[in-house]
Amino acid sequence: MMTKQIRYEALVKALHTDLYRYAYWLCHEKQIAEDLVQETFLRAWRALDSLKDEKAAKSWLITILRRENARRFERKRFDMSEYEEENISDHISSSTEQELETHWLRAKMAQLSEEYREPLVLQVIGGFSGEEIAAILSLNKNTVMTRLFRARNQLKDILVATPEEKRGINNG
Amino acid sequence: MDDLEFDGLELDELSFRRKIFADPKSRDEDIAHAKKSAPKKQQLARELEQLDDKITQALNVPVPDHLYEKLILRQTMQDHQQQKRKKRVHLAMAASIAVAFGVLLNSFLFTSAYSTLGEHAIAHVEHENISNQGTTFVSLATLNEKLADFNGALEGISSATVSKLLAAEFCWFDGMKSLHLVFQGENSPITVLVVPDNEQLKFTANFSNNNLHGKAQQVKAAGINLIVVGDKSENTDSIQESLSKNIRWQA
Repeated sequence: MMTKQIRYEALVKALHTDLYRYAYWLCHEKQIAEDLVQETFLRAWRALDSLKDEKAAKSWLITILRRENARRFERKRFDMSEYEEENISDHISSSTEQELETHWLRAKMAQLSEEYREPLVLQVIGGFSGEEIAAILSLNKNTVMTRLFRARNQLKDILVATPEEKRGINNG
Repeated sequence: MDDLEFDGLELDELSFRRKIFADPKSRDEDIAHAKKSAPKKQQLARELEQLDDKITQALNVPVPDHLYEKLILRQTMQDHQQQKRKKRVHLAMAASIAVAFGVLLNSFLFTSAYSTLGEHAIAHVEHENISNQGTTFVSLATLNEKLADFNGALEGISSATVSKLLAAEFCWFDGMKSLHLVFQGENSPITVLVVPDNEQLKFTANFSNNNLHGKAQQVKAAGINLIVVGDKSENTDSIQESLSKNIRWQA
């Protein structure tokens, strides 16, 4: 059906980037993230008729993706050694201050506890409100807000260090 | 710090901090008011916004090349597979239904291939499977019982003829209930068919194929056709004459 195809393509175009990034922070591996996104969109295609409101598309897709991820295997505690090397180490010598900071922040982000990182990712990448995040994660809103606070609190402490101190941490 | 517009409670340091950390972009009234009334709070809010810019940048990892195209391709391929599978199922179903129908409605298919009475009669006889060396014979009484369905009765026939009746059965002839008689011939059976009149089948008085030949006779009064079919080597005339002379038909 023409309409379904057009609708689907519009959805993919608008949301595949955010969905990929969300998937990446969920599983920490590019290939798995891509596979998750593929699976998610395939399921979305099959169930597209059940999506009544385009505005709900993003949370719908995220819910599907989270289910797909849960299906993969049990969540492992994040281990620094599993983090993809290239995201931290490449271009270090020629990078700008900002690139360094981004690389470094990504490493710290990956080190965050899963329960703090997820709400943060949903809020920043997904643009969801506290209520929406609570619905997606099946938590109450207060819990979500507390975790968001803790996530940013941890990250802010890290960034309080001056650029010189940060470089020291990288090379030392 | 007079603020006539704001009615809510002034957020204290801790509450403000918790709220702004949880949502730097918050547009809540108490947040806005707190920012206005305390420069330190405003400063904190600004820092959190800057932090969020960096967080956004960090979270926005590069997306694989052509991911969009890959996603669309995969979906259209899967859709194509599903359509093919559905078509295969439809074809398989159609085929099995056709076979079932073919078995059930064989006679209908059979009929449509023949347009004349003679052709149909020959085809009908060719499917017959009665041996010329029968050991049992049908009595005249039995024959007349069945003939009665067609408003006919065989009388005054020579016993010689009747003694050669090998079979007398009802059958379907072009969808019509007919009477199928098999007489013992010289070397092979001779078939007599009592068939109701049929406008769809073109009446032919004489007909034959490679092996068989036959004659048909219309009995308009009774609305039936009397057909005789036998091997080309057989003399079908005497039977036909005998029967047509001796069957009394009621209108």
